[in-house]
Amino acid sequence: MRVLIVEDEPDLLGSLLQALREDGYAADSAEDGEEGLYKAESYEYDAILLDVMLPGIDGWEVLSKLRKTKKTPVLILTARDAVRDRVKGLDTGADDYVVKPFDIDEVLARLRALIRRSASEAQPRLAIGEVLIDMAARTVTLRGEVVTLTAREYGLLEFLALHRGKLVTRTMLYEHLFDENDNTLSNLLDVHVSNLRKKLGHDFITTRRGHGYSIDPAL
Amino acid sequence: MIFKSIRWLLQAWHSLILVVVLTGFGVTAYQVARGNQLRRIDQELQQRLITAFRPGPPADPHGHGGPPRERPPPDRSPNEGKEGKHDHDPSGWRAHMREVIAHAGALEAGQTNAFYYVVWQQDGSLLASSPGAPKDVPMPAETGREHEPVDRSGAITRTRGELREFCLCFPFGDRALVGRSMAPDLAAMHRLALWLFTAGASVLAFGMAGGWWVATRAIRPIEAISATAVKIAGGDLAQRINASDTESELGRLAGVLNSTFARLEGAFTHQVRFTADASHELRTPVSVILSQTQTALSRERSAAEYRETLQACQRAAQRMRKLIESLLELARLDAGQERMKQERFDLSRVARECVELVRPLAAERGVEMRCDLTGVECLGDAERVSQVVTNLLSNAIHFNRERGEVRVTARSENGTAFLTIADTGVGIPPEDLPHIFERFYRVDKSRSRIQGKTGLGLAICKAIVEAHSGAIEVTSQPGVGSTFEVRLPSGSA
Repeated sequence: MRVLIVEDEPDLLGSLLQALREDGYAADSAEDGEEGLYKAESYEYDAILLDVMLPGIDGWEVLSKLRKTKKTPVLILTARDAVRDRVKGLDTGADDYVVKPFDIDEVLARLRALIRRSASEAQPRLAIGEVLIDMAARTVTLRGEVVTLTAREYGLLEFLALHRGKLVTRTMLYEHLFDENDNTLSNLLDVHVSNLRKKLGHDFITTRRGHGYSIDPAL
Repeated sequence: MIFKSIRWLLQAWHSLILVVVLTGFGVTAYQVARGNQLRRIDQELQQRLITAFRPGPPADPHGHGGPPRERPPPDRSPNEGKEGKHDHDPSGWRAHMREVIAHAGALEAGQTNAFYYVVWQQDGSLLASSPGAPKDVPMPAETGREHEPVDRSGAITRTRGELREFCLCFPFGDRALVGRSMAPDLAAMHRLALWLFTAGASVLAFGMAGGWWVATRAIRPIEAISATAVKIAGGDLAQRINASDTESELGRLAGVLNSTFARLEGAFTHQVRFTADASHELRTPVSVILSQTQTALSRERSAAEYRETLQACQRAAQRMRKLIESLLELARLDAGQERMKQERFDLSRVARECVELVRPLAAERGVEMRCDLTGVECLGDAERVSQVVTNLLSNAIHFNRERGEVRVTARSENGTAFLTIADTGVGIPPEDLPHIFERFYRVDKSRSRIQGKTGLGLAICKAIVEAHSGAIEVTSQPGVGSTFEVRLPSGSA
């Protein structure tokens, strides 16, 4: 899952980036409103963490401009906790709202819920054949046995699972699994896929040669 | 409780005054009417007696004279009577008297409220009495008794029960008395009294109703004021008294109260915003500390990573410390706890020291510092003034353009020391200009945060300058630069 963080306080931005990356997200950053809007409009993010008080154009403006072109889920981070501000945020098109100072765990949980909802998946647990994916705990079990996955592998599995039955192109995977700083070689994606197949069974992921991958919804 | 209300007090006083006035008026009117009635009866009685005993047909009720008869003038005094026609013939005179009485009595017979006549001889024996006369009419004493006043001619007027009697002395010491019942007159007086009472009572009732109306009208603005004040006390500070009439005393009071409420609301809103801003300013560094530590603690880290986290936390803590110090300083300045020293110092020297202090910062940004500082004496707290100057200088450098300049000048004029700090920076938009000395007011909502500004610097400058009985002002032209002018008492006036 690829996430954009727009925050002008460097120390806060740094810790958020670290926390998200360690949690398996591909995370990009922007330090002001203009950069944030440009990136949000240019890439297919799965979610955006948006601070309100930003230099240049503020968070509200970024949000209202973004909403003209994209439906990317937006989680607002702000120090303004008045009801008025929250209402304004949600009315402008924000999907959720976290007031500073926040707990990283809460931000991560809200982010997960946001991404799940945007994929029209209300349940945090996905059962695909004998594989059970718990998106809240970020664990995967096969026939009741816990399968150990790396953050990358888990991200890949989750993305494919949320788009099961659909063709997921390599471009989509690159867009959503790797951030702007990853200079991953293309064959690394194949390595992750083959590792997943080893752990979950060879037929779990279907290769559409020349197009991409998919998970059969009939499983 | 209810009798303490102004309306009730007004009403009570109003009614009391009305009752006193009406009673006075009614009693006087009754007395005058009664006096007039008595006088009229007396005149009538006197007329009767005179008519009955004067020559002519006696006791004609309407006073029309008949053929003249020989008769002594009735109004003569007893002493004079001795020279009258019957001087030497009391028996003839008395016979005549009997005749007159009988005649008069006969005329009165059958009439309601009839007059009666009684004549006594000098020795007190009854000479004659008309048929309608009550029995045992006592003979009035010659000299008069109590309640039987004797006038100059020796006539006596008296009241016996419901009877009014008038008595004259005749020749030979005889006395003639005419009287009649006052019952109808008394009844009339009674009716008058009743009428007066009724009229008075209605006037009182009308007066009280009117008074109540007036008191209610007078009290209505007070009730409006009271109701508004209650709402304001309840927390709704936006309430105002609806004062349409601004000329009356209560209208003016309402005006004064409204402006007080407005100031109260302003101060309260200011306070609320200040608290919200202060907590808002503290939220960001706290978020940094929380997110940094939570992220760092989520797994084992290298020493370098821990160091980075600690450094970030330290930066956040420093920022909070700066903010808290500024807040405390403002609070002390607000409370007037910060005593400004009153010492003479050279404002130019202080300014020069401050310029030296910020010179490295200026060099970093390529800003040139130009000073025009001649000796300017100033009275105040040199340390505090240098704090103001440093703050203004660092702002002037921060918001300057690259390779810009800051011009610092000091001069003295009419007992006031002027210090001007002009920059060639971005300037301040006109809509922000009136607010820049407000706490946490920021022209750019976040840029100054990155530069480590608390948003309280100018507010502190203003508070310090005002504690010196000075003033601080700003003029600005966007794109050209801003000029801050500090005026302090020079102490030489």
